[in-house]
Amino acid sequence: MGNAAECITLPTELDIKAAGPLASQLLALRGKDVMLNASHIERVGAQCLQILLSAAATWTADGSELTISEPSPAFTDAIEIAGLEISNFTARNH
Amino acid sequence: MDTMAAIKQTFFQECEEQLAELEDGLLTIEREEGDVETINAVFRAVHSIKGGAGAFGLDALVRFAHTFETTLDGMRSGRIEITQQIIKLMLRSADVLSDLVRISRDGGAADEARVAQMTEELQKACGIEPAPAAPAAAAPAAAPVAIEPVEGAALVPDEFGFVPTPVHFDFADEQPEEPQVDEFGFAPVKIDFDELLAEDASHTEGFEIRFRPKPELYAKANDALRLLRELGRMGEMEVTCDYSSLPHLDAIDPEGAYFDWTIKLKTDGTEAAVREIFEFVEFDCDLEVRPLISGFVEAPEEAEKVVKEVLAQVAAEEQAEKAVAPVAAAPVFEVKPAAPAPEPVAAPVQEAAPAVAAAPAAPAANAAAAASAPAPSATIRVDLDRVDRLIDLVGELVINQSMLAQRVMEAGIARLSDVAVGLDDLEHLTREIQDSVMAIRAQPVRPIFQRMSRVVREVADMTGKSVRLITEGENCEVDKTVIERLADPLTHMIRNAIDHGIEKPEDRIAKGKPEQGVVRMIAAHRSGRVVIEVADDGAGINRQRVRDIAVKKGIISPDAQLTDAEIDDLIFAPGFSTAEKISDVSGRGVGMDVVRRSIQALGGRISISSRPGQGTTFTLSLPLTLAVLDGMVVTVAGQTLVVPLSTIVETLQPKESDIHGLGEKARVIAIRGSFIPLIDVGAVLGYREVEADPVQSVAVMVETENQSQCALMVDAIIGQQQVVIKSLETNYGHVFGVAAATILGDGRVAVILDVDAIVAGSRTEMARIDANRKRNAA
Repeated sequence: MGNAAECITLPTELDIKAAGPLASQLLALRGKDVMLNASHIERVGAQCLQILLSAAATWTADGSELTISEPSPAFTDAIEIAGLEISNFTARNH
Repeated sequence: MDTMAAIKQTFFQECEEQLAELEDGLLTIEREEGDVETINAVFRAVHSIKGGAGAFGLDALVRFAHTFETTLDGMRSGRIEITQQIIKLMLRSADVLSDLVRISRDGGAADEARVAQMTEELQKACGIEPAPAAPAAAAPAAAPVAIEPVEGAALVPDEFGFVPTPVHFDFADEQPEEPQVDEFGFAPVKIDFDELLAEDASHTEGFEIRFRPKPELYAKANDALRLLRELGRMGEMEVTCDYSSLPHLDAIDPEGAYFDWTIKLKTDGTEAAVREIFEFVEFDCDLEVRPLISGFVEAPEEAEKVVKEVLAQVAAEEQAEKAVAPVAAAPVFEVKPAAPAPEPVAAPVQEAAPAVAAAPAAPAANAAAAASAPAPSATIRVDLDRVDRLIDLVGELVINQSMLAQRVMEAGIARLSDVAVGLDDLEHLTREIQDSVMAIRAQPVRPIFQRMSRVVREVADMTGKSVRLITEGENCEVDKTVIERLADPLTHMIRNAIDHGIEKPEDRIAKGKPEQGVVRMIAAHRSGRVVIEVADDGAGINRQRVRDIAVKKGIISPDAQLTDAEIDDLIFAPGFSTAEKISDVSGRGVGMDVVRRSIQALGGRISISSRPGQGTTFTLSLPLTLAVLDGMVVTVAGQTLVVPLSTIVETLQPKESDIHGLGEKARVIAIRGSFIPLIDVGAVLGYREVEADPVQSVAVMVETENQSQCALMVDAIIGQQQVVIKSLETNYGHVFGVAAATILGDGRVAVILDVDAIVAGSRTEMARIDANRKRNAA
């Protein structure tokens, strides 16, 4: 990971209301390497998973780096339930 | 709160429609004319009621609808065989559901015992089957505790906390504005899981479920992950998420729906149980559930991919035919032989064809489903007040137009002048507008007929008679108000027909009749009116007994000479009731006189004809609309009256030689070889004491509802005119012999004659008055 990685702590609630702000927040960081701290997540819904997945794909396409750190049990569980893996949420290009 | 009330009102309106659809569908199935879509429609009807009821916290309604729906689902999935017995049960359940809806709307207490009994019967219907649907049916009652974590459930709380159980309500504060869509939501299934597992060992395989949420699902505060989690509680599951349609972040709709899940679920639960998890979102997602026959996770990767691609195509097609309800899809994948557009995945589809060669009939079924699915834009819901206001205004327009025409005539403008021609055009236009506006209020009599089938069922049950209702002409259209106000009279007539008319099965057999009695209800348009016949094939009226009772009750004098028709007519006399003991069924404190009065209040007439041993027929004749009437304007003793044109056969000028006296006062007129009673309208209505000279009058030949003819004596005929009916009952009160009033072109008020009443008034009414007079004198 590059030194310029932006660290973002994801909020505890990632429900439908959080999806819009999350998307804007991530879009604003586009082009930068980003590390998302997922340790505080208590609840996450499908739509925020969509945003995070899309971000990973976007970052991959951009050639930037996106990682998720310290995923909380709630987050891991949601990913698993949705039939996804944590690696789907990661963009590693460097 | 007003908004809420309005929404609730809309819900109840929709309930009415759903209930009608439900009953309609069930009756179609009963006649063995239904298909898969009919059952689906029935299911959807109950489901919608349940969904709405849930949103308003109408728990009793939800509970019953749920049980009902579970049984219907059994029918839909073929677990429950559709027999006449089951259909009967369904129909009775529909009755209970309808009651519960009504109680929820109007208040009042539900017949708990009946609901409980019905619930039990429904559950039994499910339980008879090897598939353990019964526990599911019982679930709602237990729902409040349902959420207690079942083994294997993740410890994390459900994402959005919409489950209404206390466990999850700690998050409630955070979604204060969320709609309470799933207040009592998805809980039912889980509690039954253990039972399901324990009870049904025969379901060893599982299901492949394809679940594709639509944005609406999220918008309604449901979360896909929670549904998946609940699925997971049913057994071991393998989830595959296809998110290939997910756009990049700059193009994403944060609240869009891009996931497409395929879940292989190894469970002993039933398909119903699986579907139940999705039941509140079933219209907000694409859902397919099909049994996993080849076992769990055994499909080769390749095949799976192919299936997925096929799914993608099917999804695309489904997208194209959004009208088709998602659940209408059979538990097999439907692939049209001819794909509408060449998709990139066309080749794999072909390869997959053997695997998914769902059914050659599928496209047809699909098309049928698409055809029968209601097009959303075909109707609009308009407040009745607005329509009525429009009708009123058009009525005023008609009056205004006729006033204008009269003024022009009075001004001596030539008939062929431009003004007069223009006025004629205006009249045509006005009439057309009026007809169109009336058509808005016109509704088929179907719903009321359907309601009667319930009455027949109930009364037949109560009296232990076997009765079949045959209806004809349900599509006959009548003014909505007329339809609404017909319910009570018709109900009473049907009750009477079954309770008093149709004999007990053993008596019928003894008489050589079929054991099952028949009540016929026929609606038809006849000369500008709608005629409804209620006929039974029972014993007919016992005239001697009717006569005796009428004498005993002082309705007629013992020496009165009455024709058969007049005797039959006595059952409409106030205070007459043939039932010696008041039975549960027809003795509800309403006599046929009330029926007649309510029909008269509608501007209608009721008549009876009966043949001993063959049955009785009641004939209702009603105006198509309560708003306008074609009438003949006449004068009687200086009063302007309107005689409804529909009753008039002809008019003539009586000759001295044609008039014959009959008895003390009565006169008849000889016309073409037959004698017809001559009635002086002025005398009957009390406009004059001395009867007019027939030779100086005009005789208006009218036909009454029981097909008898009479000649009404009036002083002069002014003309023929369409008049706007202004109810006398609403604005003043009932006046004998008067059906309603109107405003004429010159601004004067004229009363509209109730011809039947006038004719009757000169006969039985007279006899009754006579009898009363004698009794009073005594």
